[in-house]
Formats: sequence, C-alpha cells, structure tokens
Amino acid sequence: MTPPITAAIIGIVLAGTILLLVRRDHLHGSFALWWFAIAVAILVLGLFPPVIDWLGSVTGIYYPPILPIVIGIGMILIRLLKMDIDRSRSERQMRRLTQKLAILEQELREARDLLNIGKPEKSPAENTLADNANSQRAIGGR
Amino acid sequence: MLFVHSSLITEPDEETGHVGDRIGRSRGLAIDGLSASFDNARPSKWRRLVQRSKLSHLPILAIIPARNERATVGDIVGDVKSCVGCCVLVVDDASTDGTPEAAQAAGARVLRLTNRLGAWGATQAGMRYAQRHGYRTVVTLDADGQHHPLELPQLLAVHRDSSANVVIGTCSERLSNAKRLAAGYFRLITGIDVQDFTSGLRVYDWRAIRTLASREASLLDYQDLGVLMLLRKKGLTLKETPARMSPRRTGGSRVFSSWLMVARYMMHTTVLCFAQVGARPRIGQRVRGVRSSS
Repeated sequence: MTPPITAAIIGIVLAGTILLLVRRDHLHGSFALWWFAIAVAILVLGLFPPVIDWLGSVTGIYYPPILPIVIGIGMILIRLLKMDIDRSRSERQMRRLTQKLAILEQELREARDLLNIGKPEKSPAENTLADNANSQRAIGGR
Repeated sequence: MLFVHSSLITEPDEETGHVGDRIGRSRGLAIDGLSASFDNARPSKWRRLVQRSKLSHLPILAIIPARNERATVGDIVGDVKSCVGCCVLVVDDASTDGTPEAAQAAGARVLRLTNRLGAWGATQAGMRYAQRHGYRTVVTLDADGQHHPLELPQLLAVHRDSSANVVIGTCSERLSNAKRLAAGYFRLITGIDVQDFTSGLRVYDWRAIRTLASREASLLDYQDLGVLMLLRKKGLTLKETPARMSPRRTGGSRVFSSWLMVARYMMHTTVLCFAQVGARPRIGQRVRGVRSSS
C-alpha cells in the first residue's frame, strides 16, 4: 500500500498557509476560528485518508470519496451565504454613513456661513495659511 | 376607547379591500370613508381632532433627489419656493455636472452625497435630515421637471384633510400599458391598490418620515412598492390623488427604460413582495397608530 503522499502534501500546505495567515493576524475574530477549524480538518483528512472511509461507513455512504466533496461544497455555500449577509449589512452601514456625512457636511457649511457673517471673505486655503503662520509665531515666541 | 372600536371595525374592511380602478379607491380611502361615516355619527369632534393634529404638521420640507439635473433643478427649486413657500432640500446623488451649485444658487439647501446611492438613497438622506430638523411633513418630487410644483398646494391640502399618512400624486393619463400591467400584477400579489406605485410625487407625515428614516428602509432601491409595503407593515395608510404631470424634460424613466431593466425590476420587486408576505400590521400596532394620529 503506497502512502497517500499527495493528499498529505496538499493537506499540510493548505493547513500551513491558513495557520500562518491566522497567526499573522490577517483574519480576525470569527473568520480566524472558521479557517482554523477548516485547516485542522484538511490536515487530518490529508494525513489520515482512512478517516474518510470510516466516516462513509458510519454515515452509510456507498462511495466514501464523495463525502469530503459534498461537505466541502456545503461549507462553501454556507460561507458564501454568510458573505452576502455581511455584504448587505455593510452596504446598509455604508449608505447610512454616506447620508449622515452629507447631513453633517450641510450643517457644518451652514454653521460656518453663520459664523462668517460680517467678516472679510477668506478662502479656506488662506485660513489654513494664516493659522499656520499664527501657530509658527506662537512657537517662535516661546 | 371609541378609537379602538373604530379601528377594529375598519380592520375587516381593509382585508377585503376595494379592487376598483378609480383613482382614490385605495385602501387608505376605504379607511377614510369609514372614519367619515363614523364622523357623521359623532359630528365634527373627530374631524376637529384630526384637523388639529394635521395643523401641527406645518413645517414642511420639500425633498428633491437629483442626479445630473443641472438644466432643470434651478427652475424647480424656484417654483417650489414660490408655490409652497417651504424649505427646499436638494439631495445631490454624486452628480458630475454641477447640479448642487445650480440648486444652491436657486436658494435650496443642498445635501451632497459622496457616493452614488440611487434615487431612494438620496430621498432617504432627505428624510433623515427632515427627522433630525423636526419637519412634520415632507413632500418629494423629481428634479427632472415631470412634477409641477403648482400641484403641491393641492396635494398638501388633500394630505391635510384626509387621515392618510401618505398621499401619492398620480397622473393616470401618463401611465403606460406596461406600468398598468405591472400595477395590476403587484396589486394581485401584495394587495396594495395603488395605480402609479413609482410616482415620486408624494406627501409624507411625521410617522411616515420616522419609518422611512429608519435602518429598515436603508436597503431599498427605489421609492416604490418597497417603500409602500414598509409603510403598510407599520400600519400607515396610503391615499392616491390625481395630479397633472408632464413628460420628463430630460432623460427617460430609469426603471422603465428597456425591457431588460423592466424584467430585472419586476423580479427584484416580486422577491421583495414575497419577502414581505404575512407582514401585515398587527391589530395592536394599528390601534396605536389610530390613537397617535388622532
């Protein structure tokens, strides 16, 4: 019986990559947990393929090699669904933030107009320049 | 307690509904009719209460969502200001042609969205502004010149005199066959009896503003059936009233531009309808609604 060297290599490389990413903090929170579990599952299946046959006999599946594929596709579907849910949530947040930003911007503009009544017109750039000059003078004075 | 009874009486009638094609025989008016007959039984006290509550709706905000409408937005802002004399808010949906400047020059307040959110996203920004600044009534109209600001006083009067939370201005002559067919189809699956459900000429009261400014309304895409279904879910009432409209001065309908778009829109809205099945207001909600509007 030849050792299942290909499956083992694939399993180790995939699991190693995921673990590395999790360790480097590229994935956070629940994502890290999910991918950690996936990595462990791949590692176990890659190193000990008979597990699949055992699982098949336990669950009564006639052709066990199909089992990891079905489970894998199921996992991918769940993951995709979760991604779309998350995308909808962030879309909602993005829309509300955009609206809030516009409202605050309008209020800020109005407040600025009120404050500027009776003062000489200055462009924002000139204002910043003047402020900079003032702060420089203040620093120089000390 | 009498209010509670009246609302319980109206409930079954609303379930059967009117399926007439005449303008105004919407569910909102069905309720109107009943409260009017109730009114006859107890002369004018009920009516006076409604009137008084509607008078407190006075601060009006006109919301005009605009995207690349520089040619028309200035005139419309001016017309609304002279016809209604209310504050006008133009919500600029990330235009690239100087629409916000034109609107500002005409004397409107302008909200500038940094990302393109679509017609409803822009209108909702206006709703949130209205809620934040305590406006009691909101009028929405399009910036492309198809809605006449001259119609607004009449629309506002209908809104003030009826007990409906939302009044929709409909131009029945302007409805295409495709739109009539779509309206019939949606009436069948949702039971909302509105002829022109895409009309952007609407008056909302403060309860509708509160509902439409909420997070729940943020994922809608058009000011159409989704909005109406959400309003019905919250137990608010609708009423349609005829209004004159003209063809758009610039551009065409965004929704009904090509058959592909129509098909996409119909599927999108059908899914939305089925997602809302069973979302009718509970009796408790409706009773509370009748009380607070009285």
